[in-house]
Amino acid sequence: MTAGPARPATPRYDVVVVGAGLAGSLVAKRLGDRGWRVLVLEAGTRTLDSWPGHLDALDTAHAALAKVPNAPYRRNPAAPFPDVLDLTGLPDGGYRADGYFLQNGPLPYGSDHLRATGGTALHWMGLAPRMHPDDFHVRRAYGYGRDWPLAYDDLEPHYRAAERELGVAGDADEQRDAIGLPFPPGYGYPMHKIPRSYLDSVIAARLDGVRLREAPDAPETTLRVVTTPHARNSTPNPGYDSGRGHRPRGAVGTPNYGERCVGHAFCVPICPVQAKYTPLKTQATWSDDVTLVAHAVVSRVLTAGNGRVLGVEYQRYDDPASPAHTTRTAEADLVVLAAHAVENAKLLLLSGLADASGQVGRNLMDHPVLLTWGLLDHPAGPFRGPGSTSGLECFRTGPARRDRAPFRVEIGNWGWSWPAGSPSGDVSRLLGITGDPSQPRGKGLFGARLRRELGHFVGRQFSFQFAFEQDAESRNRVTVDPRHRDRLGIPRPVLTYDLSDHVKRGIASAKAVSDQLFRLLGAEDHTAYAPGTSAPGWFRHGDGAFEFKGAGHAAGTHVMGASRADSVVDPWQRCWDHPNLYAVGCGSMPSVGTSNPSLTMAALTLRSCERMHRDLTELHRPAALRLPEGRP
Amino acid sequence: MDPHDPVPPPECPGFVDVSVRLTGFDEFTLRGTGLVRLYHDTTVEQVGRAAVGRFLDDLAAAGGDPGGLTDEVSRDIARAITHLWYLGVWPQLSRSVHAALGREKPNTAFTVSPEAYTEGLVWQTFHGHPPGAKAPGFGTWADPPPGAPAPARRTGEDAR
Repeated sequence: MTAGPARPATPRYDVVVVGAGLAGSLVAKRLGDRGWRVLVLEAGTRTLDSWPGHLDALDTAHAALAKVPNAPYRRNPAAPFPDVLDLTGLPDGGYRADGYFLQNGPLPYGSDHLRATGGTALHWMGLAPRMHPDDFHVRRAYGYGRDWPLAYDDLEPHYRAAERELGVAGDADEQRDAIGLPFPPGYGYPMHKIPRSYLDSVIAARLDGVRLREAPDAPETTLRVVTTPHARNSTPNPGYDSGRGHRPRGAVGTPNYGERCVGHAFCVPICPVQAKYTPLKTQATWSDDVTLVAHAVVSRVLTAGNGRVLGVEYQRYDDPASPAHTTRTAEADLVVLAAHAVENAKLLLLSGLADASGQVGRNLMDHPVLLTWGLLDHPAGPFRGPGSTSGLECFRTGPARRDRAPFRVEIGNWGWSWPAGSPSGDVSRLLGITGDPSQPRGKGLFGARLRRELGHFVGRQFSFQFAFEQDAESRNRVTVDPRHRDRLGIPRPVLTYDLSDHVKRGIASAKAVSDQLFRLLGAEDHTAYAPGTSAPGWFRHGDGAFEFKGAGHAAGTHVMGASRADSVVDPWQRCWDHPNLYAVGCGSMPSVGTSNPSLTMAALTLRSCERMHRDLTELHRPAALRLPEGRP
Repeated sequence: MDPHDPVPPPECPGFVDVSVRLTGFDEFTLRGTGLVRLYHDTTVEQVGRAAVGRFLDDLAAAGGDPGGLTDEVSRDIARAITHLWYLGVWPQLSRSVHAALGREKPNTAFTVSPEAYTEGLVWQTFHGHPPGAKAPGFGTWADPPPGAPAPARRTGEDAR
């Protein structure tokens, strides 16, 4: 036998993970710890996993005019990502989208994501509530959306594993008592709950125990302010893990720095002391069997023709500012797409894979958010502590779900920053500076009067954030259009998005609840919705007009199901059509409840890691040379 | 003290005097930001020495009260300097003032430096701190801010 021509060696791994965000980092951690050789390909840069890189991001955020979620993170033409500022409202309603996402839906998809090592969870708020058991079977119980092929009980042990990995601070007894979440007897979170804000206490004193009807003929709901679990360092629980306690993680690059949350009030866009969990903390504990390659934009999943996948093709660039790149491939026994809901769907569509059900890219969801805002009758202590430390959980489930989307109410600790751009908007207004420089300006206040007015006005601000469950609808979707490509020639995602009447009825109900909350609080309600530049999500419903924002919770683009006929991945997040291709993350969720989804995504991912390990073990087991049965 | 020991003159005294009138904060607080020089230079660079001179004359004519300014150019300069101190951001000027000044730079708002954001005076007006800087410490957000009553304790929660 003669040797053929020399072929360049293609590196071969046990697993290729696409994306170094929350889900991908957990997969690499779990499989690397088991000794599997893992290659993680990250489209963005890895400047954030060093202390100087972190400080640079912080400076960038401080210098940004709008402290939006992506403000600290450098634009990257080689791996572009969307920004909430890409959307502009039109004077009479409607919107324009100018960024990475092409949008053609009736309403705008208002959320962003981040392509960089650490992913979108670099700028998440860090809230880590569990989903309610009812959230897993909304179709069966309430007649809308889609059901999960698993139940809360199937995920419960993995919720605990995720709470350990993320270092969640919370009060299990309070969650059980107030929300009805099942925990095993005696369970405590790794850390004690984050103290509630002064605002929470004021609201609790005025609302706890009050019974309210969202409509005159609706049943009564009892209000209660409940502390929210956070993936943020507080005081470790010495009784955690059968008395072994919990050791919080410090900052990446400066492990002894930070540790406890010191109240920077900047969780979004970046925690200066890294008291908040980010995937970079998991990456810092990866085994030597994990290799991270950044600047590697995966463009296609490669197949063998027998349904199995071979690996991926990716575009490697050196300089984010230059279009120069080289095409490479990486091969592995298992490919795990963990690139965020929109990017996962984009990759499957570009590869022509996993779509026998026709559901790839469909069922795009978010948590549409309605903001209401007002002034307390005395200082509220705004812009202090984490963005939200408590909420009202009583509208998350119950029979009303049949008629309208359920919602979670976050008490917003950061004044009117989200609804009105406070305090800079307040400074401009009092100075007489209008948003439109062509309009005549007001006379304006100066000196001691300006100082006093600002203190009196900004100091009493608070807001409510109503986050709605969005039902899975196949018309809400991600597609790709080869006519619109990014710098590396990869087609950009096209989003088609709208809100169902079920969601719109939820929004109207929440506004009715908000009106009552402001009355009960004796607070001045300043909520108003008008079309215009800063209101791309303005719409009319019934007699009312509303405006919604995106929560940054993209989900549902490769939904999980019990049948390959109507879902993309199986209950292990494994593509029905491809036994060695997984698509993990919020994209797998068939419904999203009202909980911030990252903890559930982490739990789901950790559960899938067990299946991936079994798959890999099967593949590496020596072939069994058995005689056919019945032969001696 | 040696009478021959030269005392250095304070930096940009005129600019600080005007800024005290515009912002309602005292000289000690303004100098404590470390940004007097940068804000002075930014103002001169943005509107030019001639316009700054006219603004100072107009302010003097108004008895030092910025509320008494009547010229729209001087008034917009007053707004801009005050905006700068409160937020660390040089704002967009009104379109007509931008044109009247014949500025050849784009009329866009910008944060003067990362430190300018963290030294913004607006946070002090309500006893706050700039988010992302000068963190007050674990659990401080549970305490009443100055001027606020202690919340009634219904549930025995907020212990820390």
